[in-house]
Amino acid sequence: MSIKKKIRREEKISGLIFIAPAMLQFFIFFLIPLLLCIYASFTNWNALSTNRSFVGISNYIRVFQDAKFWKSIGNTIYMLIPIPFYLFFAMLFALACHKKVPGNKVFRVIYYLPYISSIVALVIIWKWIFNPEFGLVNIFLQKFFGIVGPDWLGNPVWTKRMIVIMIIWKLIGPTAIYYLAALKNIPQTYYEAATVDGATSVKQFFSITLPLLTPTTFYLTVVGLIGSMQTFIEIQLFTTDGGRDYGVATIIYYIWQRAFKYNQMAMACAAAILFSILILIITCIQLKLSNKWVYEGE
Amino acid sequence: MKSRKISVSAIIPFALLLIGALTMITPFAWMLSTALKGSKAVYQIPPQWIPNPVDWANFSEIWTSSNLLVGIRNSAFITSIVIIGSTISSSMAAFSFAKMDFPGKRIFFIALLSTMMMPGVVLLIPQFMMYTQFKWIDTLYPLIIPASLGNVSMIFFLRQYMTGLSSELIDAAKIDGCNYFMIYGKIFVPLSKSAIAANTIFIFMNTWNDYLGPALFTNSKNLQTVQVAIASLNSYYAEQTDIPVVMAASLIAIIPVLVLFSICQKYFTESFAMTGIKG
Repeated sequence: MSIKKKIRREEKISGLIFIAPAMLQFFIFFLIPLLLCIYASFTNWNALSTNRSFVGISNYIRVFQDAKFWKSIGNTIYMLIPIPFYLFFAMLFALACHKKVPGNKVFRVIYYLPYISSIVALVIIWKWIFNPEFGLVNIFLQKFFGIVGPDWLGNPVWTKRMIVIMIIWKLIGPTAIYYLAALKNIPQTYYEAATVDGATSVKQFFSITLPLLTPTTFYLTVVGLIGSMQTFIEIQLFTTDGGRDYGVATIIYYIWQRAFKYNQMAMACAAAILFSILILIITCIQLKLSNKWVYEGE
Repeated sequence: MKSRKISVSAIIPFALLLIGALTMITPFAWMLSTALKGSKAVYQIPPQWIPNPVDWANFSEIWTSSNLLVGIRNSAFITSIVIIGSTISSSMAAFSFAKMDFPGKRIFFIALLSTMMMPGVVLLIPQFMMYTQFKWIDTLYPLIIPASLGNVSMIFFLRQYMTGLSSELIDAAKIDGCNYFMIYGKIFVPLSKSAIAANTIFIFMNTWNDYLGPALFTNSKNLQTVQVAIASLNSYYAEQTDIPVVMAASLIAIIPVLVLFSICQKYFTESFAMTGIKG
C-alpha cells in the first residue's frame, strides 16, 4: 500500500517537472504579457514617460474614433479573399497528385518552395517581378495582351491585389498536403461500391470525395481565417507607411504602427485587446456553424 | 487498350501539376537568373532568362560588402539553441501530458492550447514593454529564451502521437526499475523519432526565417540575424539599384531550409498524414 502510494507520488512529481519549462513559458511569456496588455490598455502608458495613471476606457474610445482603425478593418477583410482561391487550387492539385503521376516527390518539394522560403526573400523577389517598368509581370502583360501594366507597388489598390496573389501562391502547397493526407484516408471500397452501382466519376467526386473532405476544408477555413485576419508582415515589407491613404494597412499593421512608430503603447494595447476578442468571436461562430456542413462520420 | 486508357487518364493530372509547378518555381528561377547578371544586364528588355555572360561576382561580393556573414552566424547560433531547448522541453511536456497523471493536468493543457488563439504579433507589444524592464532589448535573449522553453504546436502534436503508443511499455520499464526520466529518454523519444524530426524542421524553418522578432528586439549591427541583414541590404541597395546582389543574398538564405526540407521530406509528409485532421 505504501509502495503504491510512493509510486503515485513519484508520478505526480515527475509529471510536474516534465511540464515545468513549458508552463514557465506560459506564465512569463504569455500570461504576464497578456495581463500587462490588458492593464496598459486602461492607462496612459507610452514608451517615453514613466508616470502612468489610470485613464479608464479612453484608449478604447480613441481607437473607435480613429478613421485609420476603420480603414484598416476594411483592408483586413480584403485579405480574406485568398482563402477560397487557395483552397480550390490546393484541392485540385491534391486530386491530381493523388492519381499517382510520375514525379510526385519532386512536385511536392516544388509546391512547398514558396512556403519554406522566408518572407523577406519572397518580398524581395515579388518587388522585382512586379516592378512596374522592368518586372516580368508587366513585360508579360505588355507583350501578350498589349496592356500597360498597373503600378503594383505604388497604387494601394493594386498592391492589395498583388499581396492577395502572393498569399494564394504561397499557401497552395502546404494546403494541398493537408488535402492529400485526407484523400489517402478515404477507403477505396467506397469508390469500388459506387462503381458497381454505376456512379460516374463526377458523381463519385460530388457524393464521396467532396463530403469526406469537409472536415479538412473546415479545419483549413478556420485556420485560414485566423491567419488571414492577422496579415501583417507583407504590408510592413511592401509599403513604407501602410500605402497611400492608408490603403493597404491591416488591423495588425495599425496596432503595430501605434505601438512602435507613434509610441502609443496604451492605445495599441487597447486595439490589440479588441482584435483578440474579435478573433475569439469568429472562431466560436465557426465552431458553432461547423455541424451544419461538416461530415461527422456515421 | 487498357494501358492506353491509364496513360491518358494520367496526362491531365500531370499537365495540371506541371502548370502549377511552373507557377511555383518561376519566381525562384528568375531570382537565380537575376543573381547571375551584371548590374546593367538586369534592366534589359526583353528580359534575358539565361544570363550571358554568367556573372558569379555577386555571390562573392556579398560576403565582403554586407553583413550577411554576421547574420548567418547569429541565426545559426539562435536556431541551434532554440531547436535543442524546444525539442527537449516540448517532448518532455508531451510525454507527461500523454502518459502521466498529476494534479492540474487538464487545466495546464487547456492553458497551453489557449495560447494558440492569441495573435502572436499582438503579444509582441506587451512583450516589448516587459523586455524593456528586463533590459533585454538589443540582446539575443528575447529571440532565444522564450522559444527554447517549448513550442505549443509541437507539444500538442507529440502528445497525440505518444498517446497512441502502448502504456504497457511504461509498466514493463517500471518493473525493470526505470524511473520516468529513463522511460522518456530511452523508450518514448526513440519511438517518436520521426514525429520529433518533422516538428524540428518546422522549428528550424520558423526560427531561421523569423524577421519580426529580430527586427523589433535588436538594433546593433553585430546582432543582426540573416533575415534582418538581407532586409537592410535590400533597403540599402534599393537606392543603389544593385538588384543582383540582393537576389544572391536572398537565395543564400533560402538554401539551408530548402536542403533540410528536401532531405527530411519523408518525415514532413508523414507527419501531416499522421495528424490526419480527424475533424
